[in-house]
Amino acid sequence: MTEIANPESRELLTVNMGPQHPSTHGVLRLELVLDGEVVVRCRPVIGYLHTGIEKTFEAKTYVQGVVLTDRMDYLNPLGNNLAYSLSVEKLVGCEIPARATVLRVVLAELTRIASHLMFIGSIALDLGASSPFLYCWREREKILDFFEGMSGARMMTSFIRPGGLARDIPPDIVASISTFVDTMPGYIDSYEELLTGNPIFRERTEGVGILPADDALALGCTGPVLRGSGVALDIRKSNPYCGYEQYDFAVPTGTIGDCYDRYLVRVAEMRESVKICRQALDSLPDGPVQTSDRKVMPPPRAELAKSMEAVIHHFKLWTEGIRPPAGEAYVGLESPRGELGFYVVSDGSGRPIRVHERGPSFANLQALPKIVEGGAVADVVACIASMDPIMGEVDR
Amino acid sequence: MSDATRTGAPGFLLSRLEDWARESSLWPVTFGLACCAIEMMATGASRFDMARFGSELFRASPRQADLMIVAGRVSQKMAPVLREIYDQMPEPKWVIAMGDCASCSGVFNNYALVQGVDKIVPVDVYVPGCPPTPDALLDSLIKLKERVAADSRNARHGAQTTAGVGIAHDGTTGPTTR
Amino acid sequence: MSVVDDALGTIFGPEAISVPADGIPTVRVPLAELLSAVERVRGELKHSRFVDVTAVDHLTREERFELVYLFYSLEQRTWLRLKARTDRDAPSITPMVPGANWYERELYDLFGIHFDGHPDLQRIMLPDDWRGHPLRRTEPLGSEPVDFTVTRSVYARD
Repeated sequence: MTEIANPESRELLTVNMGPQHPSTHGVLRLELVLDGEVVVRCRPVIGYLHTGIEKTFEAKTYVQGVVLTDRMDYLNPLGNNLAYSLSVEKLVGCEIPARATVLRVVLAELTRIASHLMFIGSIALDLGASSPFLYCWREREKILDFFEGMSGARMMTSFIRPGGLARDIPPDIVASISTFVDTMPGYIDSYEELLTGNPIFRERTEGVGILPADDALALGCTGPVLRGSGVALDIRKSNPYCGYEQYDFAVPTGTIGDCYDRYLVRVAEMRESVKICRQALDSLPDGPVQTSDRKVMPPPRAELAKSMEAVIHHFKLWTEGIRPPAGEAYVGLESPRGELGFYVVSDGSGRPIRVHERGPSFANLQALPKIVEGGAVADVVACIASMDPIMGEVDR
Repeated sequence: MSDATRTGAPGFLLSRLEDWARESSLWPVTFGLACCAIEMMATGASRFDMARFGSELFRASPRQADLMIVAGRVSQKMAPVLREIYDQMPEPKWVIAMGDCASCSGVFNNYALVQGVDKIVPVDVYVPGCPPTPDALLDSLIKLKERVAADSRNARHGAQTTAGVGIAHDGTTGPTTR
Repeated sequence: MSVVDDALGTIFGPEAISVPADGIPTVRVPLAELLSAVERVRGELKHSRFVDVTAVDHLTREERFELVYLFYSLEQRTWLRLKARTDRDAPSITPMVPGANWYERELYDLFGIHFDGHPDLQRIMLPDDWRGHPLRRTEPLGSEPVDFTVTRSVYARD
């Protein structure tokens, strides 16, 4: 913590770190009041990416809504699909086959690895190291290749839907994912070699942006931000969903809650995700990937030629969509940024009356003034990068 | 088609040199807004490598850039910022509307978004996709380079073209391709 | 979870408790008792971690907005939902729970619910000069008609 140079003559300068900035991780605006190099006050201004998604949900059916969820936290699209699908499935009350559940875990963890790769690349790039960005993207491209092979789209796959998956993952892609998972720890070692012991990186992140655990909890932080401050809360462990209780993995935590701790937590989380993927792929059962509840998922096309009931179900799904009974559901799960959940309220019709996303970055970003104020203005970039906010989720 | 003030063989060569220089070094300003920004980063990363097409660096300052790739959805709050950044770029400048949201607001036909950035800035190339693959973005960059190489002084401001006929700055019409 | 239900029933009365499809115990309280309810939920019921506050616009009811608060207990590892109805104003929980700051600003911005006692109640998502509160179900989506060639009239402009 730097001290104010001359307390008597405080010439405060207001600097705008505008919505267009290479290091704000999207369209975040910070109004910084500086005394020399020290940040006296930081006021985040958000809303520059407000897309009205929550209002748009009310005009769409439940399956159309999955498409919107991809675009909220756009570095964790399958995780968003999963959170929304879990909430809708709770409302409808349908059974998800075992193969779909295990594949959901594999996809969610792959997305977590991809998101953390992006984090490492961007924190390194923000602090001036451009090589880790290119190395991390090399692996991220492999993961995006898997997504493209199974769904046709690299990022916005909308692959996890209420009732299961959109379709089964081809066996050659499952085999490629398996090989990738085995090679990944070696790549994580190579990123650590570049950054973890690097004196410049450590100098810029150790002791910077310290967030005490009590403040983190009071401000509603979750995920690596909270775990970096020492609180071992991971929804996958505390409230397991999709069969996470059967996988053996650890929950890494930091000690003092500085930027370096948050970085270490995310790197360790990548290793744990690799472990979970390995266990999930080893235990992958055969079977369908869509629920047999015909009010949620359509019947296979071959059945349409034989069964009148199948035709009626298909017709009703395509015209009215899923019609859950009136009620509400929220399922919290662990996204790469923290606790993510969709609060879905239904009135019995084919369209929800309210869908609200509890996005972790919205709460985490409230802690930004706390960690930035009192530090140097050059540390603001490291603090934002270590928070890893995604403005699509903050502004919705 | 050359500028009317450049006459004769030296003028022709000089304007060809100018076109070639501009076309080979289109440096974009960092204007990644949402998901398309991630694919724009992928285009800059090593697999797709935008740098080999001349876009070596993304400039943070609009004063040093000549291309604005609007990558992502533009909200009502962001629209004045977008226009200001565009105005701060020096001439000649071009705009690529990357993705469905920039072209026409995509999936989000609602109160919060500007329905297509061409309502605020003139667009030269629209790239469809949600998000467009890096291949699509590179294709749009190449198409823009072709237009810039043909006539970098006049093929700007999203000049309206119908069936390959361009309207030049000085009011005359003629084919825009070589 | 039945231990929590018993405690809830004792404090709030059994008719205020319900458990919807997601299994999260939900307590309905009158708006006047909201602050004390939040204190009790975070204190003796040990659900101290604030998760979320949102609102649902039920048009047909007189008190149209239903505020939905979500809390989490680190010790018991359960969620707890608190609901209160209002038609315009509500007391702010931000002095008690700093994490609710931006959430209440968002509800003010998008629903028009005024939170008394909030330190900085102004618009957060929309521009400061925006008129209206879009997430209210009486307000339109604001979509623009899409210009398809097949729906264009023959005599419209080229």
